[in-house]
Amino acid sequence: MRLVNRKRALSFVFATVFSSAAFSNETQATGAPADGAKLIETKACVACHGKDGNGVVLATGKTDPQYPILAGQYASYLEYSLKAYRSGTRKNVIMAGFAQQLTDAEIKALAHYLASQPSKLHTLKGIE
Amino acid sequence: MSFSHRTIKAWAANFGALSFGLAVALISAATNASAQGDPVLGKDLTYTCSGCHGIEQYKNAYPQYNVPKISGQNYEYLVAALKGYKVDERAHPTMRAQAKSFSDADIENIAAYLSTATEAHK
Repeated sequence: MRLVNRKRALSFVFATVFSSAAFSNETQATGAPADGAKLIETKACVACHGKDGNGVVLATGKTDPQYPILAGQYASYLEYSLKAYRSGTRKNVIMAGFAQQLTDAEIKALAHYLASQPSKLHTLKGIE
Repeated sequence: MSFSHRTIKAWAANFGALSFGLAVALISAATNASAQGDPVLGKDLTYTCSGCHGIEQYKNAYPQYNVPKISGQNYEYLVAALKGYKVDERAHPTMRAQAKSFSDADIENIAAYLSTATEAHK
């Protein structure tokens, strides 16, 4: 299952490398503000993280636990993480491929869109 | 050409060992998805996590960003992230030190607790 998902994600990386590069030039040229809700689909994040950042549901009915829930996460942390994947300070072959296709403005837009989506993520409650 | 009794016996033994190994591999692959750490053991280990991850809007200093929400996060991702800090594939001095202080079993227990922790947990 994991291998299949990796393969699927990798094929998305290769499929989007060229098309998304063209897309980002387009948005840059028109000066349109980056739209997180659109980017999550055009940049193929949706394949693993789902449309709202809550992940993809497996045939078992459960959400695939290998991918993080991004919905409801702090925007500043999502932005930091994407830039870390992009620069390579955080090592992940698949995420590096995706993040390298994103401009700073697109990363910011994605981070804010995902942070605004509802999820079950919450701050850790202290132990009494 | 004939095979001695010993040769046949050796083959049988090898085949037996091979199929046993295969069976073990198949069973462990099948149960792997549900084989998780122990959330009860993990809970105590998360005491130090709450120093940073237990404060709403708490900020990391340089660079500045909010320390992520980790409660309710997915199990396998938490395990991968903690092991990533442990082997320096993720850059954060405090998190590296924390992760290195934990065994792999500790990490699985922590992830089991965090992934099942709900808002109601006190």
